[in-house]
Amino acid sequence: MRTILHVDMDAFFAAIEQRDHPEWRGKPVIVGAPPDRRGVVSTASYEARAFGIHSAMPSRTAGRLCPHALFVRPRMAVYQRESERLMALLDGYTPDVEAVSVDEAFLDVTGVLHFWPDAKTLARSLHERIPQELGLTASIGVAPNKFLAKVASDLCKPNGLLVVPSDPAAIRAFLAPLPVSRLFGVGKITRAHLEKAGLHTIGDVQAVSESALASCVGEAAARSMRALAFGQDERPVAREWEDKSLSRETTFDTDCADRTLLRETLIALVESVGRRLRSHGRFARTAFLKIRFPDFRTITRQRPIPEPTDSDRLLIQTALRLFEKAAGTEPIRLIGFGVQNLTDTQVPTPFQPDLFSPKPAPTQRRKDQRLDRVVDTVRRQFGNDALRRGVWHGSAEINEPEPDSGTNA
Amino acid sequence: MKITIQREQLASALQRLQGISGSRSTLPILSNVLIETDKDKIWLTATDLELSLRCAVPAEVVKSGSTTLPAKPLFNIVRELSEPQLELESDEQHSTSITSGAAFFKILGLPPEDFPALPEVQSDVSLTLDQAVFRGMLEKTSYAASTDETRQFLNGVLLSFKDDKLTAVATDGRRLALFEQEIEIAKGAEGELIVPSKTVSELLHGLKEEGTLRIRQAKTQIAFECGDLLVLSKLIEGPYPNFRQVIPAQAENRIALDREVLLAAVRRVSLLTSTRTNSIRMTFAKNKLTVSAESPDIGEARETLPIKYSGPTLNVGFNPDYVMDPMKHLPTDEVFLEITDEISPAVFKCDLPFLYVLMPMRLD
Repeated sequence: MRTILHVDMDAFFAAIEQRDHPEWRGKPVIVGAPPDRRGVVSTASYEARAFGIHSAMPSRTAGRLCPHALFVRPRMAVYQRESERLMALLDGYTPDVEAVSVDEAFLDVTGVLHFWPDAKTLARSLHERIPQELGLTASIGVAPNKFLAKVASDLCKPNGLLVVPSDPAAIRAFLAPLPVSRLFGVGKITRAHLEKAGLHTIGDVQAVSESALASCVGEAAARSMRALAFGQDERPVAREWEDKSLSRETTFDTDCADRTLLRETLIALVESVGRRLRSHGRFARTAFLKIRFPDFRTITRQRPIPEPTDSDRLLIQTALRLFEKAAGTEPIRLIGFGVQNLTDTQVPTPFQPDLFSPKPAPTQRRKDQRLDRVVDTVRRQFGNDALRRGVWHGSAEINEPEPDSGTNA
Repeated sequence: MKITIQREQLASALQRLQGISGSRSTLPILSNVLIETDKDKIWLTATDLELSLRCAVPAEVVKSGSTTLPAKPLFNIVRELSEPQLELESDEQHSTSITSGAAFFKILGLPPEDFPALPEVQSDVSLTLDQAVFRGMLEKTSYAASTDETRQFLNGVLLSFKDDKLTAVATDGRRLALFEQEIEIAKGAEGELIVPSKTVSELLHGLKEEGTLRIRQAKTQIAFECGDLLVLSKLIEGPYPNFRQVIPAQAENRIALDREVLLAAVRRVSLLTSTRTNSIRMTFAKNKLTVSAESPDIGEARETLPIKYSGPTLNVGFNPDYVMDPMKHLPTDEVFLEITDEISPAVFKCDLPFLYVLMPMRLD
């Protein structure tokens, strides 16, 4: 039996703004685009949520619902720094931390429980220390697996702590009254299918046979859905540095056909992946690009990187080559970049050296490393926007290092 | 146009053109073959704008003319016909009837005027050599060319015409194959050019054991003509790396090896390499060569070959494919391996004007 914690910060961005601006406390604060512009709400404070405002809602709508709300431009660099402080705090409890996003993480505390009287005491300690150290509140769910822990933290929001009992009958009873949309993987469409079949609560799903469920959502989905309905979830808490791949993607508010903007976005995604590679001391041997078109057709294209790397320059070069080949001229809904085939060493063994440059371009590699290190430092201190890379409007051929040898005419 | 033609001859010509027509789908006409009548034969042409192939097939020309037909359906039909002969007749609308025995087909073509004109290779100098010789040069080198699109200048075979020698070179940066042939080269014909791998593979299919080959070269195009076959190709823009400088001047040790024995041993041992590491170890000790491999998931393999060797023990890593490739393409019984140490390039040689430079892998 495992013990998993789900730590979820309460209205993270808005709470940081209220902490840093005491005059905004107790007022509806909305972090996101201003109400007179295109754009969406990123986070709304609990005072604003009382007006029906939620994340991803168009700012215009939010402005109509609550005209006196304070609209605040996001300060991503600040939130990023707070996120790093949070993760560092969590790391102090267990090394098995999986950061799901900036303000949310799973902890597998099974291995460290013997230091504590019980799981609840551990969770309470964390629940108290987060406000002490960050001046922000979090909600924490404690359960035998990730799914239940997340359900628990959602239910006890804000500033709550909820421990899910661990015997199967109690878990069943805990889940039964909840709507089916709480089940991981149930979105609008699946939910409509389920409700048409008269399945509104998780209890309803528990009561039908797997084959009946399969006729409604398909066989593969039915099996996992039923397991979840009974509170079973085997997904491990993945320490990020153990990941087999790293990726970042972004969905455009409106489908984007602007090649320059697409390239800029892609480069920002690549840099984010590069930074994570470097912070984990990992090197990638394969890069992949993901593109989703407006009709939800999704393609991924991958290519090997000439040598295991953590350098933004090589990653961007590979990403742009993939992009030039795959993107065409259609508008794009989502673009993503990732790396896989990760190694701990830059020079793997066995390693095949090149005839023409037996040592793999050491000078270029040193230069790349120095530049990346400086950029990482500047961005850590002053935010991601402090330094931005120029965009290559031309071909994907950028700074190809010359072979060390000469060439004959 | 109306012709009578042997089924088998037409089928084999069409098969050769399949790899070219339709490989780019941008222009519909490129999926077609151009058919033109000559005195007692027809010319078939296919092009993808970078590579064009033109070949002649004997035919009885009843009514001269030309048309274009979609290459794939035409080949599929001709291949399936059962009679040894067939008749092609096209009308003004460029639809063509195919009659053979009791079978009848009508396929829609496109006007021949729409077919792109083949590039002119204007050159005063040309070079003539034996088809078999040239084919042998390509066979023994082209497998070493790179397929990495990011190094396009290595995606072909370098032909160097210099000092009355034609040199063919191919490399992917890890190994390099070179074959040198003495021929007469006219004064103005000296130079270097890179022939794309796809063109080389067409030549390997098309060149015969007999007859001569004429090579004409313009700035960006090259033409290979032999009898009833014309191969026209764009050249790859260089520059090609300075291959002479990676050929080791001399080595400490020269070891004679039975080509087929070595090939078989490496092939067996390489069964135990994992795809990720893909390396074998060749250990040279006194009068003994041990080829070995290990895969963490499967196990290990080892095979010992008697050799004449008295140098220091060397433990060299190689990509097994890179060792096998030249062995598969050489005709000689014996090959010689020249090797200095674990990290310097090794060289395979034989009793031909051939050499193969191979960069060892670092094992640890």
